[in-house]
Amino acid sequence: MTSETEDESARVLDEGDAVELLVYLVTSARTQVDEAAEYAPMRLLTAAGRLAEMTEPNASARLRPLLRDIRQGFSETAVQAGDPAGYVDRLDALCRTVAEYLVRSLGLDRSP
Amino acid sequence: MNDAVLHAIRTRRVVRALTDAPVEHDQLLTVLDSARYAPHAGNRRLHRYVVVTQPSLLRAVRMVSPGMLQRPTAAIVICVDWAQVHNYGFPPANPGPYIDVGTAAATLLLAAHSIGLGAGPVTSFSRAALATILKLPAGMRPELIICLGHTASEQPPAMRRQGGPRWDDLIQWERG
Repeated sequence: MTSETEDESARVLDEGDAVELLVYLVTSARTQVDEAAEYAPMRLLTAAGRLAEMTEPNASARLRPLLRDIRQGFSETAVQAGDPAGYVDRLDALCRTVAEYLVRSLGLDRSP
Repeated sequence: MNDAVLHAIRTRRVVRALTDAPVEHDQLLTVLDSARYAPHAGNRRLHRYVVVTQPSLLRAVRMVSPGMLQRPTAAIVICVDWAQVHNYGFPPANPGPYIDVGTAAATLLLAAHSIGLGAGPVTSFSRAALATILKLPAGMRPELIICLGHTASEQPPAMRRQGGPRWDDLIQWERG
C-alpha cells in the first residue's frame, strides 16, 4: 500500500501531457483576446478537466474523487448563458470542493 | 420535389466527439472537392486548403486550438492568401475574404455530412502558432479548421442559451 507521503510526491503527469496543457493555456490566452468573455471560464474549466483526465491514472486514491468531480462538474460546452442562475452556483460548489480537499490533504482540520 | 439537399441542411450537426477510425482518402478528396463549388466572390481563388491527416501533426494542431474539443482523424484548414487579397486591391477592413471562408466551410461541412462523416468547424486557435506548425508561406493565414472523422455514439450537449431571441424575431420582411 502506498503511504500518504509517497502519494504526495508521486509523479502524476508525463512530459507530453504537460506540454499539451502548457500549449493549450498559452494559446487560450491569445484566442481569448478576440473571443467573447463568456469563453474565458469555459477554457479554464476545459484546462482543469484535461489536467484531471491526464493525472487521474497515476493519482492517489485520495485525489481521484476530486479529479472525477472536476471532470464531471462541467460539460465542455457549458456557458453561463445556458443556465444564468446555476452556472455561478456550480462554480462556487466546485471551488468549495477543491477547498475541502485542501483542508483535508493539508491537515488543516486537525487541532494545532 | 427532391429534398435531399434540404434534408442534409436540416440534419447536419456540429460533431464534437469522433472515433479513432481514420477518414478514407477518397472521402477526404470528396469533401475537399466540394469547396471548388462553394460561392466565392469574383471567383478570385484567394483561399488555400491545407489537409492534415498525420496523427502527430493533428495532435499539434489540436494543442494550439483551444476550441477544438474533438480529436479529429483528419482536418482541412481554410487559409486566406492575404498577399493576393492585397494584390486585388481590397482594403484591409473588407470582410469579403472572411465571408468566403464561411461559404467554403458551410459547403465542406455539408459535403462531409452527405457522405456520412462527422464534422465540426473550429475558429478558436492561435493563427500564429498554427501557421508555424503547418509551415505556411508568409502572407497565408489560417482562418478556420474543419475537423473530420467518424461520429462517436456519445456527444457532448449542444451549446444552450436561455433568453435568446426566437427565430422569427431574427427576420425582417421587407422594409423595417
